[in-house]
Amino acid sequence: MTSDAWYDEQSRLSPAVLQEVTFPLTRWGRAGYEVDGVRTFLAEVQAEMVHLINERASLWQEVQRLRRRILGKENGNDAILFGKDDAHIHAVRILSSAQRTADRYVADAQAYSGRLTEEARVRRDEIMVQAQQHADMLLDEAQTRARAAAVAAMNHDEPLPETDQERRAVQAELAYLRTFTEVYRQHLKIYTEDVLRTIEDWESKERAASRDPAVGTASRSVHRRQPDG
Amino acid sequence: MDVARLRASFARIAMHGDEVPLHFYSDLFLKHPETRTMFPVSMQAQRAHLLNALVRIVASADNVESLTAFLQDLGRDHRKFGTLGGHYEAVGASLLTTFAFFAGDAWDAELEADWRAAYELIASVMTAAANEDEKRKPAFWAGTVVAAERKAFDVAVLTVRTAPVLDYVPGQSVAVESPARPRLWRYYSMANAPREDATVDFHVRLIDGGAVSMALTAHTAEGTSLRMGPPVGALRLDAAAGRDILMVAGSTGLAPLKAILEQLAASRQMHSVHLFFGARTADGLYDLPSLEKLAAEHPWLTVVPVVSAGRFSGHTGPLPDVLMRYGRWSGHDAYLAGPTDMVKDVLARLTAAGMPASQIHVEDFGWSEP
Repeated sequence: MTSDAWYDEQSRLSPAVLQEVTFPLTRWGRAGYEVDGVRTFLAEVQAEMVHLINERASLWQEVQRLRRRILGKENGNDAILFGKDDAHIHAVRILSSAQRTADRYVADAQAYSGRLTEEARVRRDEIMVQAQQHADMLLDEAQTRARAAAVAAMNHDEPLPETDQERRAVQAELAYLRTFTEVYRQHLKIYTEDVLRTIEDWESKERAASRDPAVGTASRSVHRRQPDG
Repeated sequence: MDVARLRASFARIAMHGDEVPLHFYSDLFLKHPETRTMFPVSMQAQRAHLLNALVRIVASADNVESLTAFLQDLGRDHRKFGTLGGHYEAVGASLLTTFAFFAGDAWDAELEADWRAAYELIASVMTAAANEDEKRKPAFWAGTVVAAERKAFDVAVLTVRTAPVLDYVPGQSVAVESPARPRLWRYYSMANAPREDATVDFHVRLIDGGAVSMALTAHTAEGTSLRMGPPVGALRLDAAAGRDILMVAGSTGLAPLKAILEQLAASRQMHSVHLFFGARTADGLYDLPSLEKLAAEHPWLTVVPVVSAGRFSGHTGPLPDVLMRYGRWSGHDAYLAGPTDMVKDVLARLTAAGMPASQIHVEDFGWSEP
């Protein structure tokens, strides 16, 4: 039976709550309550009902037990406070309560791990956006400088015959590309080195912080078959 | 056996919700401590499974065919947990104690006899299916990771050699247990058509807070041993349909569809296939290079990558929107796999566009979803 029905009174639904409950209104001034608010409240009411039903069942069991005890006394039987069944049910309750606690610990740990990975994901997205912006900036700068180089190559001399003009255009293009590649390569090199350093740094920290001994030992336990299977 | 009376009594018992399986397992573990090691530390999901199975059994009590099929699956599936004949007896005894406890004053000798008979029937169908299965198949398949590759920030592709050979139909999946998380089983689809060398690929996406996906992506390397349950799932190629094919994959939902694609590639089929492969960001399209290679080899295949958020040189926006803008699909056979919301959305849009339900095939793990 419910083992935590007797405490945790703080979180229980009370008549006072029912009297003061308000629901958020839907937006844009339309009539009605917001669905989520009402649903959440209904869930609370449902949980409370389950609590009450369980409490009632628990009390009923208790009444039965006491009744048996009285009957036993009347029949001249020296009644025991806890019969064999009572002791078993008591043990079931204790074990259930322990299981609930264990479940809560696991759930907490999982929620924590979930938050960590989520944060890592967000952080990674930020880094990616920054890197992208940085790359765009590099590209812009390289283009600007290359364009300047090309213009410089074009304006080198006085007007020329047709073919020379073509040649010069090609030269300008070449100068553009050369400068562009050079600038871009240089920036990229610096940037990549920087990123690699950050990753190595991060990896070594990660390794130091989270050596997981469970992995090694668990790989043995998986092959251990169940006691009778 | 008075089914109506059993139902009424179950309704009363089920009112106690999670308390019922909680009491049941505590009773079982007290009477048979050795059974505790067959279950994971946290029993939360396990309790929900038990209650769902009971609800389903009681609800379909008068549909013998579907109930039998369900119980046979359940019996076969329990083999991988190491369930034996003796366990059924122990479970039956604890279940009766639990029902008696929660049934209140309605419990009498007749009801108890009825519940006992009902349970014996259930257990006999389950054990018969398990025993039949044992003649042909192992309880579980042992696997050794031969390659583990991080394809994206949160996606790993594992290649696993199985022993014995895993006999499955492309589109099916198996429950996988990692040595780092004993007794926690999660379903993954084989991402390839059966190969000569008995290896299978699994596409594993790291779920925030997911115990098993974390172990499989972060703590799995070449040489890691895994265990696998029997292949399950009804998603498979309807080869007789003779229609063009539309495939819609969200993230690692690609796995079962890729297996079917490989099956199609091996069968020299003549129908056109459009595969929409969606992810949130461009690097979530973790398997695009291999899909593009496949498309280059097979002119009947068109791969359409879609990114829903962030930059991408191809299609961007919500996958269902891109899909519906792209063309008319009502004459196609559709195969969908991926996040539940995406699958639901695409299913609704295709149905609204006039595609009959019989032409839509959806990845469905049914009751066995972890």
